[in-house]
Amino acid sequence: MKKLAAMAALVLIPLSVFAAPSTLVYGTTEKITDIDNASTWDFHTWEYFQNISAGLLTYKLGSSELEPALAEKYSVNKAGDEFTFTLRKGLKFSNGDVLDAAAVKWTIDRVIALKGDPVSLVTDYVDQVIVKDPLTVVFKLKGPTGYFPALIATPPYFPQDPKVFPVDKIIHDPTELPGGQFVGAGPYKLTSYKRDQEAVFSVNENYFGPKGKIDRIIIRYYADATTLRLALDKGEVDLAFKTLNPADIAAEMKNDKVKTFKLNGAFIRWVAFETSEGVFKDKSLRQVFAYLINRPELIQKVYLGQNKPLYSMIPEGMQFRYPTFKAMGDGNVKAAEALLTKAGYTKDKPFAFELWYTTSHYGDAEVNQAEVLKSQLEKTPLVKVTLKTAEWATYKQQWNKKQMPVFLMGWYPDYIDPDDFSAVFTSTEASKGNGIFFSSKAWDDLFEAERTSADPKARDAAFKKVQGLWTDDVPTIPLWQGDLYIFTKKNVTNVVTNASMLLLYDQLALSK
Amino acid sequence: VKHLFRYLGLRLTLTVPMLFVLLSLVFVVLRVLPGDPISAMLGNHAPESLIIQKKHEFGLDKPIWVQYGDYLVQLARFDLGTSMIQTEKVLTPIAEKLPATVELTFAGLIVALLIGVPLGAWAARHRRSGGDFLARLYGNIVYCIPVFWLGLLLQLLFGVALDWLPVAGRVGARVITSDFETTGFYLLDTLLKLDFDNFTDVIVHLILPAVTLGVTLSGIFFRLTRANMLDSLKSDYVLAGRARGLTEGSVVYGHALGNAFVPVLTMLGLQFAVLLGGAILTETTFSWPGMGRLLLERIYLRDYPTVQGIIVVFALFVSLISLIVDIVHALIDPRVKY
Repeated sequence: MKKLAAMAALVLIPLSVFAAPSTLVYGTTEKITDIDNASTWDFHTWEYFQNISAGLLTYKLGSSELEPALAEKYSVNKAGDEFTFTLRKGLKFSNGDVLDAAAVKWTIDRVIALKGDPVSLVTDYVDQVIVKDPLTVVFKLKGPTGYFPALIATPPYFPQDPKVFPVDKIIHDPTELPGGQFVGAGPYKLTSYKRDQEAVFSVNENYFGPKGKIDRIIIRYYADATTLRLALDKGEVDLAFKTLNPADIAAEMKNDKVKTFKLNGAFIRWVAFETSEGVFKDKSLRQVFAYLINRPELIQKVYLGQNKPLYSMIPEGMQFRYPTFKAMGDGNVKAAEALLTKAGYTKDKPFAFELWYTTSHYGDAEVNQAEVLKSQLEKTPLVKVTLKTAEWATYKQQWNKKQMPVFLMGWYPDYIDPDDFSAVFTSTEASKGNGIFFSSKAWDDLFEAERTSADPKARDAAFKKVQGLWTDDVPTIPLWQGDLYIFTKKNVTNVVTNASMLLLYDQLALSK
Repeated sequence: VKHLFRYLGLRLTLTVPMLFVLLSLVFVVLRVLPGDPISAMLGNHAPESLIIQKKHEFGLDKPIWVQYGDYLVQLARFDLGTSMIQTEKVLTPIAEKLPATVELTFAGLIVALLIGVPLGAWAARHRRSGGDFLARLYGNIVYCIPVFWLGLLLQLLFGVALDWLPVAGRVGARVITSDFETTGFYLLDTLLKLDFDNFTDVIVHLILPAVTLGVTLSGIFFRLTRANMLDSLKSDYVLAGRARGLTEGSVVYGHALGNAFVPVLTMLGLQFAVLLGGAILTETTFSWPGMGRLLLERIYLRDYPTVQGIIVVFALFVSLISLIVDIVHALIDPRVKY
């Protein structure tokens, strides 16, 4: 019997040694910026960081609640401006280097010093980071911030290895690092990377949590949605995520050879007004716009029913949400005409303005969205819309120069808190950066109240008031909330994203 | 030979003013376009102080003529500058993407020649026949057809409907290029590693983009070859060859085609720039990670130094090919004097 077992082992051991690693190919049209958390602030690169690095806190699966990750616990002082995190024992980076409180502080100091794109996510809040002992790190804030734990769960706060990352320069490509590879503390490690072409991830054996189920994940980059869809249909990719065209999504949902995962997204689209001068300085004309648009019709005509109407800038699924725009109705021509008549507009002298959009940032469907909005606005003869387009670099310059009276925008959240769907657009300071130039003391006071409080009741009251004011002042109008569509081959299971809509590679699995 | 070297020296000298004019045009056009690289680089969240600091770092706060002078001085030191978006040397992404474009361009050129020249010779030989009519129709159609549209059609036919060929990329989705990549020319790299599986995979991936690019250009070579062949076939030496009892194939494809090919060779140098332009569109259709996609992306981002760098490299490349064609021309045609 023993002999038999030994013979079987002799046969089976080599087989297991030479067994091909399980591999999943993931196709996307997204792009990577810099593989450096001190520099990057975009959806897809943050997805990398979510999987190859780890934060002190992370989102619970299927929830927007936070739970310990690298930190096993944290506490906050009474004033709400000092957070103390206790790290897990024995944490290591993927190369075996120790991850301790000093690495956390070093990372934050580096992000501040390099002044990259996401620096304001740190410098707006953090005064200093103090290492108490190798497992304890204290964040002293500039003021009380109720949602600081949500910020801690964003990549700029993810600890990096001080022995690997240079303190004085931003890394664009992991080949610039010693050893030529990215070193992180996430469930996967980035083993090979070629910009706009491929990225290869393998399981990080030093990860503190459960190991990834797939040995190797390869990301393939496609130039456009059409080619990505063709690659999916041909079976060249096992998973396609971001971004197929609405018509392709509708076709793939009927495709028997692929599985569709429809996930709730916190991605929103909205209308921005330049409120300080020009035709939309008068808030009643902004209200006219809000009355005339018809969200369900827009979603059906342009996106074939693939997204959800949005009646508050704070999307569905988040706390402190009050969909106040619902009361204004959809395609409420009567209410709009009453306001227009009061403002002195007639059929012969209609309210004329330019509506701007860009296809170079929001995709090909944007032109259809603009056309449908124009037709909805012109349901009354008292309105005359001229559509204008510019590519993204010009678009941004024009909103800074107040050259677009009304324009279409989109938003992926940085941190999962209603603050990131409200104050970031319309507080006096933030609204300048978005081309809105809106300023109201009442609004700023409410934002200050919700930001500085950790009390849910107080925050709820502030957000309720501000969403009530939104339909009166109308600095922006919510249009729709995006659903996420991920298409996979039949054998791919456990396709999940976290609350920030970042795909979690360690959850993915392949069935036989 | 002495004259040839003098001619080459002159050609190389003329490249400098050509580059100067081209770069001056690109420099001005980029800055006239609305949109600025700093807004594109920094998000909506960037504070004003950071925008001012970045503009200063890249010298964008200086008058345009000072920026232009600085750029020329930099170029004179053979430095293409630093990208404003990725803050990396401009040469880095160019060196990374150029091999893909060169590989595709040469493959496209081979396809164009393999289709255009024999078809042109055959059509001239069978002038005014039904076959000649169909060949001329082909020449006109492919000359007019947009390269991205043809690419999409071929993708749908051979990639999806027949499932014979892959639709995108330089290698299969499961092939990891870092396993064999050394020069960036994948055909060469796989051969150097004696990796014949991946060599075949690279060839298979090259077929559709190269055919797309080659077919659209084959129309020009077809028309040129046919026209020159018609002239050659009327020549005395063709009559003499026939009188001496040479076979028709030997007369047409051995003697007449050889002479008719000389103008085609000249055109080849000129068409190289067109090929590079076509490669830009083909790269997008086939997700080919080359210079075309890089150029398009950096124009959108107003990354002035990288766009200028790509134009310099393209211009030098076209000049080099033209020069090589001139040398070959002189070597194969004894009538050519420099």
